[in-house]
Amino acid sequence: MRADRQVEGADGPGADEHAVIWQCLHVLMLRHPRDQLALAQIGLLWKPIGMTSDATPVGGDPRRLLADARDLARRVRLTQRVTWLPLLVLALVTFGAIPVYRYGHVVSDCHPVDGGEVCEVWFQTVTFYWLAAVLLAYVVIAYGYLRVTRARGVDARVLPYAVAGAALVGLGFAFAAVWIRLNPLTHPEEPSAFAQVLFRLLDPPGAIGLALLVLAWLERHVALLLFTLGYLTVVLVPINFGWGAHWGPHTWFIPQLVINGGVLLLGSAGFALTQRLRRPR
Amino acid sequence: MTGAADIPEPDETESPHPVTGLDDLVHQRVRLGILTIAHEARRVEFGYLRTQLELTAGNLSQHLSVLETAGLVQVEKGYAGRRARTWITLTPAGHAALAEEIGRLKLLIARVETTDHG
Repeated sequence: MRADRQVEGADGPGADEHAVIWQCLHVLMLRHPRDQLALAQIGLLWKPIGMTSDATPVGGDPRRLLADARDLARRVRLTQRVTWLPLLVLALVTFGAIPVYRYGHVVSDCHPVDGGEVCEVWFQTVTFYWLAAVLLAYVVIAYGYLRVTRARGVDARVLPYAVAGAALVGLGFAFAAVWIRLNPLTHPEEPSAFAQVLFRLLDPPGAIGLALLVLAWLERHVALLLFTLGYLTVVLVPINFGWGAHWGPHTWFIPQLVINGGVLLLGSAGFALTQRLRRPR
Repeated sequence: MTGAADIPEPDETESPHPVTGLDDLVHQRVRLGILTIAHEARRVEFGYLRTQLELTAGNLSQHLSVLETAGLVQVEKGYAGRRARTWITLTPAGHAALAEEIGRLKLLIARVETTDHG
């Protein structure tokens, strides 16, 4: 039932008369916009001559209704957040890559150059690890996320994130394979700076960051957005304190993986603590 | 029921006042709250709604019954282990009604502010 129909169906004075009074009250309401209860009070005044209190109940002021709706939506979003879970799982996946890099590469075709030798190093096991581990991680994240939020009484917006995350990792490997095929490198040539940034962005740690941007957008989560931008900065502009510079071909990757995983782990702990304190009961 | 995008620009002389388009069913604090939460949560559990809206179970049931009869929400009963749980989902008509109500409220506020400054 709409407000105009209520006027038509009112008893007592004629419908036309009601319509006129109704319009006058609209003008009155519009003349007092700062009065937060103006609509409700007028709504109650109408009750004896045919209006129901349902149409404009106490607290039915549009500003207040809209503010209430926004507040409820914000509270639901807070309830839906389980940000610590993806960060924790992805940190574990990153740390898990360390032994795979260490023992999962094959060195071949070594030939001597000035002051040493150059070898081809194949990371097929590493590629397989990242694909399998990241896909499994997103399944675990989606399942865990839904389980936690459903226990809280709401559904989560995690599936687009999980799909985007898995797709980005696959896309990254596909891009790298095509790039290497089209642009074979010969020592001492190095990829351009742009190509290096692109590779880092589409490498699994970079793809993890890009997917976290999707999650931040889905959850309208500013803190996660800022955290992810920081994480991506660490991934794209590797921190180098000189560690691992002379560690040899078996350990040079360890510092960066430790830093990436450490940032994710710290983020997980931080969000877990914050959300524990802030989540509405 | 027209969509929020179809709402005319505020014009006191020609267009109907936004209040005339308000739907009693939705223009009510609790029911608007139910629709808002169900929209944001995709699917919401009865107990969560009751807590957030600070209602008794009986009161919430009455409001849900009104919305379900109007085809704005779908109520689904199930079990989580041994515990019975009731889930509420917004129907397409519910999404449209919510969008229209929010649109009307914004238009009403805009109309009030225009009148105030004018």
